Amino acid sequence: MGGISLTSKPAILDLVKKRIIILDGGMGSLLIDQGLPPGMPPEFWNISNPENVQACHKNYFDAGSDVVFTNTFGGSRLKLMAHKHGHSIEEYNKKAVELVKGICPEHGYIAGDIGPSGAFLPPVGTITVEEYFRNFLEQARYLSDAGVDFFVVETMVDVKEAEAAVKAIREISSLPILASMTYKKTKRGYFTIMGNSVSECVKILEEAGADIVGANCTLGSDEMVDLVPLLKKETNLPISVKPNAGQPQLVNGKTIYNTTPQDFTRDIMLMIEAGANLVGGCCGSNPEFIKEIAEKVKG
Amino acid sequence: MVDNSEYKEAIVSGNIPKAKELAQKAVADKLDINKVIDTFSEAIREVGDLFEEGEYFLPELMRSAEAMKAAMAILTPVIAEGKDKRTSARVVIGTIEGDIHDIGKTLVASMLSAEGYEVYDLGADVPIDDFINKAIEVDAHLICISALLTTTMLGQKKLIDSLKEKGIRDKYKILVGGAPVTKKWTEDIGADGTAENAISAVKLAKKLLE
Repeated sequence: MGGISLTSKPAILDLVKKRIIILDGGMGSLLIDQGLPPGMPPEFWNISNPENVQACHKNYFDAGSDVVFTNTFGGSRLKLMAHKHGHSIEEYNKKAVELVKGICPEHGYIAGDIGPSGAFLPPVGTITVEEYFRNFLEQARYLSDAGVDFFVVETMVDVKEAEAAVKAIREISSLPILASMTYKKTKRGYFTIMGNSVSECVKILEEAGADIVGANCTLGSDEMVDLVPLLKKETNLPISVKPNAGQPQLVNGKTIYNTTPQDFTRDIMLMIEAGANLVGGCCGSNPEFIKEIAEKVKG
Repeated sequence: MVDNSEYKEAIVSGNIPKAKELAQKAVADKLDINKVIDTFSEAIREVGDLFEEGEYFLPELMRSAEAMKAAMAILTPVIAEGKDKRTSARVVIGTIEGDIHDIGKTLVASMLSAEGYEVYDLGADVPIDDFINKAIEVDAHLICISALLTTTMLGQKKLIDSLKEKGIRDKYKILVGGAPVTKKWTEDIGADGTAENAISAVKLAKKLLE
């Protein structure tokens, strides 16, 4: 077939050996700024307001992101059913990938994003590991069919749920998997709210088949700096960090995050020094943060 | 004679069958039920301290709360028959409309019922009118409104405004909770308080209802 040239961007796991990779920043908080109503799952906008979603992705690539995460964080059956949107899982996920594809630059990467199901194992909830697995298997299949470059499992509080998600992806795909937990800082160190330690999470996720491990959300950038050496100590895999831009505050009816792009980037640079290989932002961060990081990282 | 250590251990280790067994034994042996409950309460506070110290996490906290609830389910009816009735305030709790996050709310509900409160947990994504109707129906003392999103937090204000419009705001104490809730927000909307976590929430509820 003459005339069609496939782009030859390196695989993400090769690129990460050569340089720091810039991820994207917050998505939900950006969509809310654009008018996503309270209680509406952000995935719904993939269908109803595709231009808003796509503009966010494009702004991130323009700001310097190498990778953009699809707008599918809450796109699994369990999560969408809780929002009474269980009927459109396939549509929401496939459309999400198409939206990134539509604006993805030649050397950009599309990460199929998978977040927590919102359901918990006993004694906190009543779900089973098998149900977790089926939930993520379905979503991973839609993302894989639509064509992503790699997968992201993020913001997990229970390593058993994260493990089920990684295994489900592995069941149907050999693409790289980035698995990221959300930790809180306690007097005894960093743990998920389920009590999983950094060492336990890294070990289990690595065994399940993750290619990149990391941390995102909950912690502000300043609080996440000390977590990176702990991750580094536990693994030789590349490390990913996506902290929040401080803690959200509601001022005069508007959500404000008090960390500036400059403060945030200073912390990100410290994390890179400590061994982080993929860097970006979570809640409260926006393309300005990514632009600042990209300028510092890429020089 | 109540063996405090055995009672405490059952709660702190979250041993539900053991907590039930001890509660049944206490009733059968005609022990002073108020003292038994005090011992259990002391244990659940110890669990709370362990949680705040980062020794315990959600699963341990839930297990202990369940053990406490199981014991209280046996002990409370006995107390109700007796003459020295303990106060058991009624609480209506839920996550506000548009918000499906319910883990924090469920934890507060469990801890409150573990402490002997009569808890009406309405679940998540609860319309404002449902909160109010339930509070009127059960003649609640306390309403707890949870919101995890800065967008749904506005529902906490709307609920309080609606109570004011109906002229019944002062019939209830109101606690608001959720990650983005601050002291300032609590004051701005005219709630009676907020707490960092489930343990502090229970302490605050007690103080408000004294």
